[in-house]
Amino acid sequence: MWMGSKEHYDRGVNTFSPEGRIYQIEYAIEAIKFGSTAIGIRTNEGVVLGVEKKLPSKLMEPAKSEKLVEIDRHCGCAMSGIVGDARILVDHARVEAQNHRFNYAEAMSIEQITEAVSDLAINFGEGYEGTKRKPMARPYGVALLIAGVDDNGPQLYQTDPSGTFLQWQARAIGSGGDTAMTYIKESYHSNMTLAEAEKLVMQTLKSVMEEKIQSDNVEISIVRTDTKRLETRTQEYVNNIISTLA
Amino acid sequence: MDLENYTNVNIFKKVYEKREVSSIHNVVEQPHHLLKDNTQHAKGGFNPYVNNQGTTVAIAGKDFVLVAADTRISQGFNILSRDYSRTTKLTDQCVITSGGMVADIETLHKLLIAKVKTYQRQFKKTPTVESLAQLLGNTLYGRRFMPYYAFNLLCGIDQNGQGSVYGYDAIGSWDKLTYGVQGSGSELGAPILDNQFVGHNYLVKTLPDDVSVVEDTGKDIINSIAERDIYTGDQVEIVIVDKNGIRVKREPIRRD
Repeated sequence: MWMGSKEHYDRGVNTFSPEGRIYQIEYAIEAIKFGSTAIGIRTNEGVVLGVEKKLPSKLMEPAKSEKLVEIDRHCGCAMSGIVGDARILVDHARVEAQNHRFNYAEAMSIEQITEAVSDLAINFGEGYEGTKRKPMARPYGVALLIAGVDDNGPQLYQTDPSGTFLQWQARAIGSGGDTAMTYIKESYHSNMTLAEAEKLVMQTLKSVMEEKIQSDNVEISIVRTDTKRLETRTQEYVNNIISTLA
Repeated sequence: MDLENYTNVNIFKKVYEKREVSSIHNVVEQPHHLLKDNTQHAKGGFNPYVNNQGTTVAIAGKDFVLVAADTRISQGFNILSRDYSRTTKLTDQCVITSGGMVADIETLHKLLIAKVKTYQRQFKKTPTVESLAQLLGNTLYGRRFMPYYAFNLLCGIDQNGQGSVYGYDAIGSWDKLTYGVQGSGSELGAPILDNQFVGHNYLVKTLPDDVSVVEDTGKDIINSIAERDIYTGDQVEIVIVDKNGIRVKREPIRRD
């Protein structure tokens, strides 16, 4: 008897299993765990995002800002999972953020940007008959860390393929996510300086990365509370932090 | 297909050439004594626009903004109402006041109230005056080819606690002002305001700080306009917006 076997309930993205699960979403969440590690830390001085850039071959050019991108002047995004899926979500977030500026002459709040991403993320399936645009046929296999500064101060959010979004003080996603979270939990405190947070991000990346940490295989960006602007740290800056790591 | 128009560049050419003289008279209302029949225009078109006249004045202060408006609605030589409020509260820190066609003003104000509510529910905060200024501009421009016949002043307290007035034309061109006047008495009111307050051509825009002085001046301006403009009169409605919220007062003025 095949009833109860999950094989048959993981075919369609709109089918619940008898236990009340939608397997395709759970599989999509699994896809994140194959992605490279991405870390975000919130402090009172601002937020830090850091990512690992995997270089499978020495011959590959280290691409700039592939997994750490700008959504708006005041908001950045780190990703882990299927990067192609993330680009769809990021493009959507960028359009929403600019639309908000056009309509209301103000920066969109980080929570709203995250919500806009999540709205798109749960919009998968077969679509409705007669509607012109078909939605994504499967869940997006990516998690995003969305960080920035708005009227409520520095904020860090995480989205996942189920359309859930959560606010964090510090969060790590991707292949080294769980290990990184335990590591960060030990050192994080709520009145950290931005420099301390940057160092903690790098230190954590160093401890979870398979390759040796170098200025061309990690990247960090920050959004300062006072300037409300996204800044990408230079390779020299990253090198300086690496040289101080334990 | 007509080869001459093959590129589609001139698809409007025929329509254009057939068109009767000027189009401005179809939209802007003629002086009353020239107006024959509003619903069936002399040239055969339907003119959906009526100017119901009336005047509104707004003055920004250091920590307040004051609106003084009359309450008369006219159509031609008839008075349709003597107590119409042309000022609407949008948020606790912002009001809109308008001159022009009452039906359009009413619709626009209701639309903005709805937009403010939508904003509050979606973004879990009250829109700032700066946001509403942009929103109103976009809303008006969205009707670029069938505009709301409404000339607006958006008045409120900005994020720094200062009073601010935003002035608009009917299709959404806007500017931040220190004071503004709209409606049938705008030509009469503007020079008095220019004389009494610091405006466009001043590099340092010092705003008045005494509400009661500005209130008296606002009342006086509407009163003076009512002396000369037949479309302004009946009552002055004073609306004061400050950090404590919005206050409304009315006073009777000449009714003839």
